[in-house]
Amino acid sequence: MKKFLKNDAVQSLIASLLCILMGLLIGYIVLLFINSAGAGNAILDVLKNFMKTSNPERRVRLLGATLVRTAPLLMCGLSVLFAYKVGLFNIGTAGQYVAGVCASLYAALAWGWGWLPCMLFAIVSGAVLGAIVGFLKAYRNVNEVISGIMLNWIALYTSNMILTLQKQEASHYTLKLKENAPQAILPSLGLDKLFNYDKVSIAIPLAILLAVAVYIVLNRTKFGYELRATGNNKNAAKYAGMAEKRNIILTLIISGGLAGIGGAMLYLTDIEQWSVTATSVPGMGFNGIAATFLGGLNPIGTIFSSFFIQHITDGGPNVDTNLYCAQISDLITAIIIYLCGFVLFLKTAMNRAIDRSAERKAQKEKALAAEKGGEK
Amino acid sequence: MEAPYAIEMLHITKRFPGIIANDDITLQLKKGEIHALLGENGAGKSTLMSVLFGLYQAEEGVIKKDGKEVQIRNPNDANDLGIGMVHQHFKLVECFSVLDNIILGIEPTKNGFLQKKEAREKVMALSEKYGLAVNPDALIEDITVGMQQRTEILKMLYRDNEILIFDEPTAVLTPQEIEELMQIMRNLAAEGKSILFISHKLAEIMAVADRCSVLRKGKYIGTVETKNTTMEQLSAMMVGRNVNFHVEKKPQHLGEVILDVDNISVASKVHKKDAVKNVSFKVRAGEIVCIAGIDGNGQTELVYGLSGLEPLKSGHITLKGQDITNASIRKRSTSGMSHIPEDRHKHGLVLDYPLEYNLILQRYFEPEFTDKAGFLKRGPIRSYADRLIEQYDVRSGQGAVTPARSMSGGNQQKAIIAREIDKDPDLLIAVQPTRGLDVGAIEYIHKQLVAQRDAGKAVLLVSLELDEVMDVPDRILVMYEGEIVGELDPKTTTQEELGLYMAGAKRNEVKA
Amino acid sequence: MLLLLQYTLIFASILTLVALGGCFSEHSGVINLGLEGIMVIGALGGALMMRNMPAGSPAFVIVLLTLLAAVVFGMAYSSLLAVACINFKADQTIVGTALNMLGTAAATVLVKAINTAADPNNHSATIEYVEQKKAFIHYFGSFEFNWFMVIAVVILVLAWMTLYKTKFGLRLMACGEHPQAADSVGINVYKMRWSGVLISGLLGGLGGICYILAGVSQWQFEYGVAGFGFLALAVMIFGQWKPWRIALAALLFGLFRALSNVYFGIGFLAALNIPGTVYNMMPYIVSLIVLALTSKKSRAPKAEGIPYDKGMR
Repeated sequence: MKKFLKNDAVQSLIASLLCILMGLLIGYIVLLFINSAGAGNAILDVLKNFMKTSNPERRVRLLGATLVRTAPLLMCGLSVLFAYKVGLFNIGTAGQYVAGVCASLYAALAWGWGWLPCMLFAIVSGAVLGAIVGFLKAYRNVNEVISGIMLNWIALYTSNMILTLQKQEASHYTLKLKENAPQAILPSLGLDKLFNYDKVSIAIPLAILLAVAVYIVLNRTKFGYELRATGNNKNAAKYAGMAEKRNIILTLIISGGLAGIGGAMLYLTDIEQWSVTATSVPGMGFNGIAATFLGGLNPIGTIFSSFFIQHITDGGPNVDTNLYCAQISDLITAIIIYLCGFVLFLKTAMNRAIDRSAERKAQKEKALAAEKGGEK
Repeated sequence: MEAPYAIEMLHITKRFPGIIANDDITLQLKKGEIHALLGENGAGKSTLMSVLFGLYQAEEGVIKKDGKEVQIRNPNDANDLGIGMVHQHFKLVECFSVLDNIILGIEPTKNGFLQKKEAREKVMALSEKYGLAVNPDALIEDITVGMQQRTEILKMLYRDNEILIFDEPTAVLTPQEIEELMQIMRNLAAEGKSILFISHKLAEIMAVADRCSVLRKGKYIGTVETKNTTMEQLSAMMVGRNVNFHVEKKPQHLGEVILDVDNISVASKVHKKDAVKNVSFKVRAGEIVCIAGIDGNGQTELVYGLSGLEPLKSGHITLKGQDITNASIRKRSTSGMSHIPEDRHKHGLVLDYPLEYNLILQRYFEPEFTDKAGFLKRGPIRSYADRLIEQYDVRSGQGAVTPARSMSGGNQQKAIIAREIDKDPDLLIAVQPTRGLDVGAIEYIHKQLVAQRDAGKAVLLVSLELDEVMDVPDRILVMYEGEIVGELDPKTTTQEELGLYMAGAKRNEVKA
Repeated sequence: MLLLLQYTLIFASILTLVALGGCFSEHSGVINLGLEGIMVIGALGGALMMRNMPAGSPAFVIVLLTLLAAVVFGMAYSSLLAVACINFKADQTIVGTALNMLGTAAATVLVKAINTAADPNNHSATIEYVEQKKAFIHYFGSFEFNWFMVIAVVILVLAWMTLYKTKFGLRLMACGEHPQAADSVGINVYKMRWSGVLISGLLGGLGGICYILAGVSQWQFEYGVAGFGFLALAVMIFGQWKPWRIALAALLFGLFRALSNVYFGIGFLAALNIPGTVYNMMPYIVSLIVLALTSKKSRAPKAEGIPYDKGMR
């Protein structure tokens, strides 16, 4: 039992579950303050999401809708995670995601590219933004968080400017792919029928595959070996002759590329159109941060955590809007990230408690043995 | 009658898990005297001072101030008793002025605003009285180490401290500055301040101290009046005469020059002088050369320069006839240099990696462990790790997959040694390879170093332990203040002689 | 042109306030990436106060109570950062980021709840303060003078005096530069860092209420403060953590930000026919370039970002 509790993966899981529970609890308390009557139901509604409806067909369809948005969220989570393994906090994931959206939509609508080249173009765009952050960090000592934020806004406004060229005449949204660029819509391989929802595409299996790929790169390759060594102990990495600056830039290029795919994965399903008058950076990238930390900084864990976060985000609108608002999910997510800051403290406390109980047990046994010895 | 002692530490015993850091130590500091505290690294000087400052509580023994027993529970208690200390690493805020650093913590104010004029007057008066020349408006980062130290002294005087402790104060000073410092210490003592002077340097102790207490391996050896003793005597008290173990070596077969260090200098990170000054030496195949010296005399920086962790300011390094002055760390490693680093946690290991991954830290990129597509070959890595674990007797809870963090210090060090030796290097640099290890592990490591020498490799050992310095190498180079001040033959020299070189009291010309 | 001046001054005031807040926090040794969230919560506090003020209240009372509310909200919110980063040694980056997200989410939820409670059909996250806003504004001809311009200058002078002329400032900066040195002379590092973070909450809150009073008379809380907190951090870095330089940097950034509001009113800029979004991007691009040029030799407080542990000496 002690060994089990000392296992790092187990501890991460416990810590994550605690963060979720605490987040829900605090969210519940907030709801109680707003209106004490419906708070319990509201939290349940959020947690139920697609399970709220009793119609099985509708359930599957709603699950599909959640999955469609889980895929890009997972990519953003992987993007944050990849950089974090080298000790970099890539908050620029949000902007790299936007770059991916812009590149894929523009290539689809203006140049009539197919979905695969569109997606590759999205990767390149995200990677370029990531490379800028990496270059500034490695050679100009610019804090990656601040440069990331600045690039988020630059990416947002640039995308608005570019996509204005492809917008619907009567609204501020980009043209629909279905009518204007059907070749760019992601293939569904029959998944649309399975979920009875035409937006469900290969993005979902692809995202999971990429999570596994990230896991493999980090844990099974020379490159991942170097990255994790750098993240764990920069000095030892230097001592072993690893090229730090090159690894920083390369990491952020990959991180940016992952976020870029995320952008393409959502918008190439045609589930929504980009508003060219958007004045805030989409939350997808920031939620990626939550997914990463909640996932215990593990790519496989991130698959589940991003589903959970998307699940409660989609559950938000379930609440009785006469009492509460849908953003209660955002609130819970934000609280969870805040609590993730305490995970290290939590793990240390856990280890200390285990050690102490082991010590006490050992002492007790010793005392017991001594007593027995005395009796003899 | 007034008590003759300003501070007395009587029969102090402080234990840590596994060791007794201070074993029944008595230290009596007379009013107005300069009292030296002498001892090797690990003799227990810092622990004793930490007890005096309330950082640790002694298990046994009492502390008396002016003859009355006192309790010192934290540094503030020590401050209240008028005890002040100049730490070896100055506690000064770099971007503050000298004056601001002096008044920090006891600032004179009026309505919440700083009254620097008053403070400046007091500081200038003190500076005048004791001959402590400082520019109160200069920033710490712009002034010399000597002036920084004078700032630290003024900090104590500004607080009206009566008992002044100097922890290795000359380590970072130039000879002229040392001369000045000694004069200042004499002035302070003449004005009635009691001074405790912690040092390794015999010449300085002889020059400035009235009495000297010696510690060795946590035990109190004795207190002598400096005017009735000699440096040789002090040296003998410091190092003792007991040789613990002896290393068997085969007759030497000297080969070609492997490492040729030509006139190199390395900048210091902590002060403005160079940490390594124009050092030249050669290491040949089949010999162990030891760089001996007291901690902080440039050995660390020398190794950083050799291994590529820090750039050289000047000079050249040649490895097997190949110029590696500007080569990358990786290039040096693949050209045949192995490096057992001084700090195994900072440089030597990735603590969160399993043992097997740490064992390939210098070779993971080789075709043996990484295939053409860039994937790690897990099978070969595991069997390689298992072989090293077996061959070098690295013990760990779960074998190859044990996290390095959970291994004992001795086995962590064995793992590093296995890794570095198994690379089959032409040159092995080992920096304090036995630090903090038990006797068994020490013996094992010495055997490994000698085995490398006997196999015709060049070994450069950097050590602070006198026993190790006397036993393991074929040649000793003594480093003092960034320079090589002497070359000794361990077979003909004595520990006393070595101590004199290490303390800067003697030097000879070294042929490069 | 007058309009450009007016917007430049008001944006510069906001940036000065918030950047000074960041400056206090960082001088104590804590990187405050949560300024954006603190601004939102400060703005929320002020806006709620204005909303609940009777229409006929005297201007002075409105201003005072609004500022007070913003300050209290900002400080209370910043204590979330302090407790996590100082007492629990949490990662300052994660917590700061969480506070930014939490600020917008909490404000939205709260405002919507309040609006819905007042009028079941109102599901917006908007607070209006048309009448109350007038208390902050004074017209000199066509120049719209905002009291925050004065407040910013006063705070600037106060900040400078606090940092460089008082015991508190000296101790604060010692904690950000060399906490071990501060500790060795009996200064309570934890207490000083708490003070630094709370002051950043105070100034961030002020900056937040100032932001939503600049130009508009209602605020939609879903939108946050559009990266202004981060712009302020860039201003702080460009200003090298020194109050007067921060003010100058804020003027420069304020000018670029103002251009996006008024470029179409300025003859030659309008004639260039550059899309408005380019002006929107300007402050961010400028700050990125400025950071690239100045970060290499930045004089950030040496111990910032490193949790202080009394046991590690």
